[in-house]
Amino acid sequence: MVIQRHIQPPVFPFDARILVPTEFVYLHNGTSLFLINAGTEDVMRMEFVFRAGMVREYLPLLATSTNMMLTEGSEKYSSEELNSILDYYGIFLNLSVEKDTAGLTVYFLNKHIEKALELIDEILFRPVFPKKELNILMKKRVDWYRVSREKVQNLAMDQFFESVFGNHHPYGRQVCERDFDGMSPSLLKDFHAKFYKPEKMTVIISGRIPEQTVGLFENYFGAQQSKEIYIEDSGNFIKGANEKKKHIEKSGALQTAFRIGSSTINKRHPDYPGLKFLNVILGGFFGSRLMKNIREEKGFTYGIHSSVSSMDMSGFKVISTEVGKNKSDQAADEIYKEIRLLQTKPVENEELEVVRSYMSGNMIRMFDGPFAIAESFKAVWEFGLDYNYFVRLMNTIRTINPDEILRLANTYYNIGDLYEITAG
Amino acid sequence: MINFSRFSLDNGLRVIVHEDRSTPLVAMNILYDVGSKDEDPAITGLAHMFEHLMYCGSVNIPEYDLPLQLAGGENNAFTNNDITDYYLTVPAENIETGFWLESDRMLEPGLSQKKLDIQKNVVIEEFKQRYLNQPYGDAMLLLRRLAYTVHPYRWPTIGMDISHLENVTLENVMSFFALHYVTDNAILALTGNITPGRAYDLAAKWFGPIPGRASSPRSLPKEPDQNQKKNLTVEKNVPSDALYKAWHMGPRLSEDYYTLDLSTDLLAGGESGRLYNKLVREKNLFSEINAYITSDTDPGLIILSGKLMKGTDIYKAENAVNEVINELKDFALTSNELEKVKNKFESSTVLSNTSILNKALNLSIYELLGDTGLINREVESYRAVSRKMVQDAAIRYLNPENCTTLFYLSEGNK
Repeated sequence: MVIQRHIQPPVFPFDARILVPTEFVYLHNGTSLFLINAGTEDVMRMEFVFRAGMVREYLPLLATSTNMMLTEGSEKYSSEELNSILDYYGIFLNLSVEKDTAGLTVYFLNKHIEKALELIDEILFRPVFPKKELNILMKKRVDWYRVSREKVQNLAMDQFFESVFGNHHPYGRQVCERDFDGMSPSLLKDFHAKFYKPEKMTVIISGRIPEQTVGLFENYFGAQQSKEIYIEDSGNFIKGANEKKKHIEKSGALQTAFRIGSSTINKRHPDYPGLKFLNVILGGFFGSRLMKNIREEKGFTYGIHSSVSSMDMSGFKVISTEVGKNKSDQAADEIYKEIRLLQTKPVENEELEVVRSYMSGNMIRMFDGPFAIAESFKAVWEFGLDYNYFVRLMNTIRTINPDEILRLANTYYNIGDLYEITAG
Repeated sequence: MINFSRFSLDNGLRVIVHEDRSTPLVAMNILYDVGSKDEDPAITGLAHMFEHLMYCGSVNIPEYDLPLQLAGGENNAFTNNDITDYYLTVPAENIETGFWLESDRMLEPGLSQKKLDIQKNVVIEEFKQRYLNQPYGDAMLLLRRLAYTVHPYRWPTIGMDISHLENVTLENVMSFFALHYVTDNAILALTGNITPGRAYDLAAKWFGPIPGRASSPRSLPKEPDQNQKKNLTVEKNVPSDALYKAWHMGPRLSEDYYTLDLSTDLLAGGESGRLYNKLVREKNLFSEINAYITSDTDPGLIILSGKLMKGTDIYKAENAVNEVINELKDFALTSNELEKVKNKFESSTVLSNTSILNKALNLSIYELLGDTGLINREVESYRAVSRKMVQDAAIRYLNPENCTTLFYLSEGNK
């Protein structure tokens, strides 16, 4: 058989199956459950979400400390017991805090569903925030903090958020060492009572879901009601810094970390899918312009990428890289050159096709298997959206044209608006 | 249970297929039986740098990534002490593009001086970013160098020194390919939405014509037993002291492998391990502590690493670690504890098998070890470990003479 090695085999169109059947159930107390029933193994993932992210905190570290203390002791179990029982049943539990939401995710074998729910009930709604464990946690955290401040990428990222969102808002506020002395059990209990309420909880369940699941949830959570508590206004406000450029000196650093970007629209805005597309061209995948220019042609860096992210009250875009110290000026020039090029020269068809295919392939990955679907679902549910967001994104991927990309680059990448933060 | 079929082409390439119709994708994994242990001690880091060069196009195809992206695919690769592994996922309709790309670079990569020079810079920046410009980033480099005396596991995959990377020549790279990237050394695994029949046809079509070249037998120096403890103290600009320990163990297929894997989990698996309970939660000496085995093919290491709480004396911390380890030797382990780590292992195995990429990599690794069916017998092997076996292994391996310790001190803490 003679094969043509220099010609690519035919590429066939492919399609992501986006509109996944997702069942929605209210428990008696108002808790919302979303069920994504798919998969071939007897395993489940459950994500418990609360509007208890950093944006709610009136003191730095409050949201993260409250969340991290959930597994440090409950009415029935000590911290040691909780962790041993979780491990005994092979239940993998991850606590998480983001800018807007917080909660936990568990993965386990279906046969242990009852044990998992019993433990989660203890962890989420009966934590006791013991003083001794809190002291240990805060000592650990201050040590972790010191290590993280040794890394140029963290110095640059923390400053980037402060410059973009200001130090009067949890989106931008930087933590400092003395904040670690400010936590106490009563503060955490108060934050917990206000923001971890069973009737305000949302659970995203995915995997091969056993039939009795909703019934079990009703047993464990359906009757739980919390007291009405007055939640005062946090007084937080967003205001970016006037100074667009800032350098943080780190003696002895071998590389300079760059964070270039600004606040921007979020998922709710009609231009957002187009902005996502533009971002992929600029620095969103291995074949992006920044990666090709700065890594593959010049060898200045191990990696450079750009991203666009949504938050409830805002959004941001950022270009991130670490480059050798003697190459930092050249790297910055090239980054701005690539942005200007996107604003002035229409994207060629060939490049458009690559990005269309790459992003369509990614959509398949985002909906491949129950756990991936659950993550995609959460990413839109958080913003009050549904799978139709992905339908819009898919349409944009298929139809966006060079003129629209020029318009988006000029609207959203005004170089005068961008912050340039460096550390090194 | 993971069902698979396996076959070999005439040129020696081994192929394994696991069909999973629940996904619209196919994962393709190509494992080359070459890692940093196969490097010349004067040119370390070459195996990993070669992995970078495999993305610079191949003899008939100017660019690797672009056609794969057009087909909706995504890919990556990694190199470790033992293997170099390339993997991709692509919508099932377009899997032939994967065969086309991978077979062409197995045939002959498109190397040039210019491409080498650029990738040298990229890899040197990677060296800085991941190892030198990070607090504690060089700890494993220092520990390996001390623990091993002759075996090539003594240097890390990134390379022993930046100068080694700088000195690589095009000739080094070419001969590395000729020696190691041979059909006999490669294992191709396909998982996901593909039938064994289609996989066979495509493998025969694209990989079949590659001339078979036999691999040269590997003869690596055998690491002698360690009979005396080794210590190293360094002072660096880090916020707090850290303690690292390494004990020698047997190869991946030795009978104690499963026992030691469970033992490290008993000691420091997550937040219910003995070391965590005693030294973080109870005595407050460490801010974090971890233990694991390196899972290398040749005799590997049991590693322990911990960051100390500010103000803890490092020798006091070390004694406390040794006390907990000695508990294992004294048969203090409860059956409940052992059951716990076994259950955890079973759970993580089932979870890991929900990913076609994990399945493709695991099948390739077991094939390399010479027994693909192991993939379905691992849980059993862990289940068979008894309390007595843990005790015996602790006595045999976790002793001071077999141990290398790195005291990584904070300059400001003197």
